[in-house]
Amino acid sequence: MSGHDDGVLAEGGRGPDEPDTGPLEEELRQAAAILDPVPAELRRLAVEAFALHDLDARLAELTFDSLVDALPVRGATDVPRMLTFRAGGLTVDVEVGGDGLLGQLIPPGPARIEVLSGPRPGVPIVADELGRFAGDAPPAGPFALRLRTGGETVVTEWLRA
Amino acid sequence: MRSGAFPTTAYDVLPYTRGGDVDRADVGALVRSAVDGDAAAWKALVEGLSPLVWSVVRAHRLSDADGHEVYQTVWFRFAQHLGRIREPHKAGSWLASTARHECLRTIRSLNRLTVTDDPRLLDRVSEERTPEQSLLDSEEAAAQSERIRRLWQEFEALGERCRQLLRVLMAAPPPSYQEVSAGLGIAVGSIGPLRQRCLRRLRARLDARGAL
Repeated sequence: MSGHDDGVLAEGGRGPDEPDTGPLEEELRQAAAILDPVPAELRRLAVEAFALHDLDARLAELTFDSLVDALPVRGATDVPRMLTFRAGGLTVDVEVGGDGLLGQLIPPGPARIEVLSGPRPGVPIVADELGRFAGDAPPAGPFALRLRTGGETVVTEWLRA
Repeated sequence: MRSGAFPTTAYDVLPYTRGGDVDRADVGALVRSAVDGDAAAWKALVEGLSPLVWSVVRAHRLSDADGHEVYQTVWFRFAQHLGRIREPHKAGSWLASTARHECLRTIRSLNRLTVTDDPRLLDRVSEERTPEQSLLDSEEAAAQSERIRRLWQEFEALGERCRQLLRVLMAAPPPSYQEVSAGLGIAVGSIGPLRQRCLRRLRARLDARGAL
């Protein structure tokens, strides 16, 4: 521990009850603005993210994530991640693994699906009559699925793959 | 459930007013405008709150790549949830809390965890020149630059709890204690005393080195 207080008291002339720590915090704020600012590229991406504000789509909330909700499999390193999203009566089960993305809609049924990785248009895939779908490229970074099924649009909560 | 007692500032030694009360006053209005499609309001939210999100991410010491993805995920999800946020004026806390949970999710996937203890961080200069950075370019500011580097070095050398707390507190504009609490998962009431303690410790380290 490095908490020798004598130097502080001698210089600041304050009792320990009244440290004037505001200016030091402000100096840290200036230092952060110089040495560790929000990268400009990230700021720009956040501004562009406004395009993801979609009033018409229903939100499918994440209700299960094997990363958080399941015990780790000892010794296994490439176990697919299992995710479940729910929007009302619709359940979307997704497995994200090294070779891509596998999914199942419940109740089973066809859907047009877009794998989104940002505000730009995503990669289109389809769910078959049994509600099964697969995507080739495993999504990297944040991703969401936009599903069109039975005249309704559902978007899964954004998540990191 | 909240009791009827009005929260006091007794947890802070000084009646130190966090900028939160002032700068965050219109966050609720900006959220409502953004919900109605006002892109300028959204941009103002990003400008005002991205340093908070970034600070929470940095406080969790993720690798740059992980940190960048968490930051994006948080803003994407915020855009998605915009019209569903129950307390628009607490959007800062919502963002901080979401950032924290995404950081923890990342840390759970242990194989991705890398610690940012890269000493080159101190030399890293953002590609875009902010006014503060341009200031550092001028020769008369060399001493100021040295001060800032030393300050940062001592800050980085603090214990983990202090480093985390101060990293979030130094967001600009200063976050409210509710936002800090949401971003770090610590009780609002403990922030004031811990803040004082950490800043005292930092001051002592700097004094010991004859800096600042």
